[in-house]
Amino acid sequence: MTQQGLATAPLESARPPRERGLVGTVVNSAWPVAVGLTVAAMMHVMLPTTIGPFYTRIVIDSGIAIILAVSLNIVNGMTGQFSLGHAAFLALGGYTAGMITFYGSLLLWNSPAKQGGFLGSGEWLFAFACLMGGIVATLAGYVVGLPSLRLRGDYLAIVTLGFGEILRVILQQTRPVIDSVEKLKNAGAAQLWPPPVGGAVGFNGLPKYTNLFWVYAFATFMLVVAFRLKRSSLGRAMISVREDEFAAQAMGVNVARIKVLAFMIAAFFAGLAGGLYAHESGLIMSPRDAGFQRSLDYVLMTVLGGRGSISGVMLAAIILTVMPEALRDFDQYRLIVYALLLIGMMLLRPQGLFGIHEVWDWRPRWRSRAATTRSMPAKGGRPNA
Amino acid sequence: MHNSQPPAPSPQPPAASSLLAVENIGISFGGLKAVEGFSVRLPAGGLYGLIGPNGAGKTTVFNLLTGVYPATTGRISLDTQNLNGLKPHEVAAAGIARTFQNIRLFPGLNVLDNVQLAGQLRAREGLASTLLRTRRYAHEESEIRRKAFELLDLFGLQARAEEPADSLSYGYQRYLEIVRALAAEPKVLLLDEPAAGLNSQEKIELAKSIRQIRDRFGVAILLIEHDMGLVMEICEQITVLDHGVIIAHGSPPEIQNDPKVIAAYLGSDVGAV
Repeated sequence: MTQQGLATAPLESARPPRERGLVGTVVNSAWPVAVGLTVAAMMHVMLPTTIGPFYTRIVIDSGIAIILAVSLNIVNGMTGQFSLGHAAFLALGGYTAGMITFYGSLLLWNSPAKQGGFLGSGEWLFAFACLMGGIVATLAGYVVGLPSLRLRGDYLAIVTLGFGEILRVILQQTRPVIDSVEKLKNAGAAQLWPPPVGGAVGFNGLPKYTNLFWVYAFATFMLVVAFRLKRSSLGRAMISVREDEFAAQAMGVNVARIKVLAFMIAAFFAGLAGGLYAHESGLIMSPRDAGFQRSLDYVLMTVLGGRGSISGVMLAAIILTVMPEALRDFDQYRLIVYALLLIGMMLLRPQGLFGIHEVWDWRPRWRSRAATTRSMPAKGGRPNA
Repeated sequence: MHNSQPPAPSPQPPAASSLLAVENIGISFGGLKAVEGFSVRLPAGGLYGLIGPNGAGKTTVFNLLTGVYPATTGRISLDTQNLNGLKPHEVAAAGIARTFQNIRLFPGLNVLDNVQLAGQLRAREGLASTLLRTRRYAHEESEIRRKAFELLDLFGLQARAEEPADSLSYGYQRYLEIVRALAAEPKVLLLDEPAAGLNSQEKIELAKSIRQIRDRFGVAILLIEHDMGLVMEICEQITVLDHGVIIAHGSPPEIQNDPKVIAAYLGSDVGAV
């Protein structure tokens, strides 16, 4: 050490943060959401007519993948708990939301068809259904989070994997969809339990509400939460659990609470995305969606993007959504390519494309030194808040 | 390892006002009594040492004090609070912070965040205000940040705040661990071999720093150390542990001349199994 014991100079105390009025606080809190919603609305209005239905569909898929991958990243990347059951939360949310919109529409409007236009009554029912899907998934996330208190690494992965597979099998045993009000009113317990969500053939006939606006509105919601979490005390606590549970405890981190919280937040957004997925046109929510293969897709996105890098995972989600479309002719090799990609990443860049950094943290190596010096606060100066 | 007779009552200084009172704690792993009948009374602002040969159970004592292992016997209290049965994070919240023998920083967090982590101990704002960025939350976070910078500045680490914790030199990493522990605003600081791996010049500075930490933060310090020079120089009272039991307790000169201590360190028929 070059210093002479502790510095003895009196500390120049940092200036307190700028006081904002009530309006300022609200603006500060809500502007990213406002920007996101505006962008989502603009995409909804402009994109379908300019790029056509095929590409619109890919943009929608990318948005859903972003929600799923970034939320999984809160558990796998930030908190370091390896979950292989993320698709189970997607399915749980999707089926819950589907039941609400389908049977809700039947009861409200005597028909499961779409009601109203953009931001019409049907879409609000749909948004509500997605939120409820998220909430049901959150409860499941709590239950699945509990084993993480005792299990680590591979063992936890197996438990979460098992959760997905169990849910898949349960969904296969459900009753056929009841598609008219009369049948619904005359249905006995045998038709209503297990829930009439289609069994092995999938939940057919859902109104197809999912559009660019809702996908990117919820994606905005997800991203704001992820970024704010990452840079907060809670986020630091999550990362400390990933880095060294033992040391985290000694620093006063309630490891049990943090792990379960991470699982619940991630499950909420997976459930939300499940609602979007279930109502996407051209798709039928089926028990397979709860299974291992789909979970692996999202794990791959987080591994590719980097543990804890939100923008890196976003990018990976987009790449891994677009790539299979571009390589449609080689569809049967998809799993082989994914497995090779995973092995390649583990060998060459185990921390993911961006590690824990964000995309905009990246600088060419020859510039990084100067840049670091610049961004450093002067001694005793005010840390940039 | 040792015979199972109850350990002789260890000499204790009259405890007028002790901050950390540890009475007769012990733990066995299976049939092995790792620590037995350990007692110490650490006054506020005290600087005590815990020494003993390798495997004597020193780190186990730290693990007992911090709730990593539940003590099977005895009683631990801090101020008036009973710490028995508390989990490690609750012990930390009660006011005991520690460092580790083998450095355990969070390499994925930068230097500043390693220190800022402690802020969550006193943080009152929960998930909702974090996500909404309420004014109180913003204030709390900037307060955590300010305190962390203050501490880093004190230890000459401010310029490296944005660097990954594992990019620091070994000596700085040791300091950062102490800073991180201090950020938790503890009443008692447990240092587990803070001088391990430091050269003699660095040890001299460490000795100075430890005293200054005690004076400036008013924290009571209990330290495990193998470097006898350092221990004898800065500790007011020293407890010597061998095979899980206290074999001596006293001021540095007393310890240096204690035949049992000499036997434990140099080996003789008296102390050997």
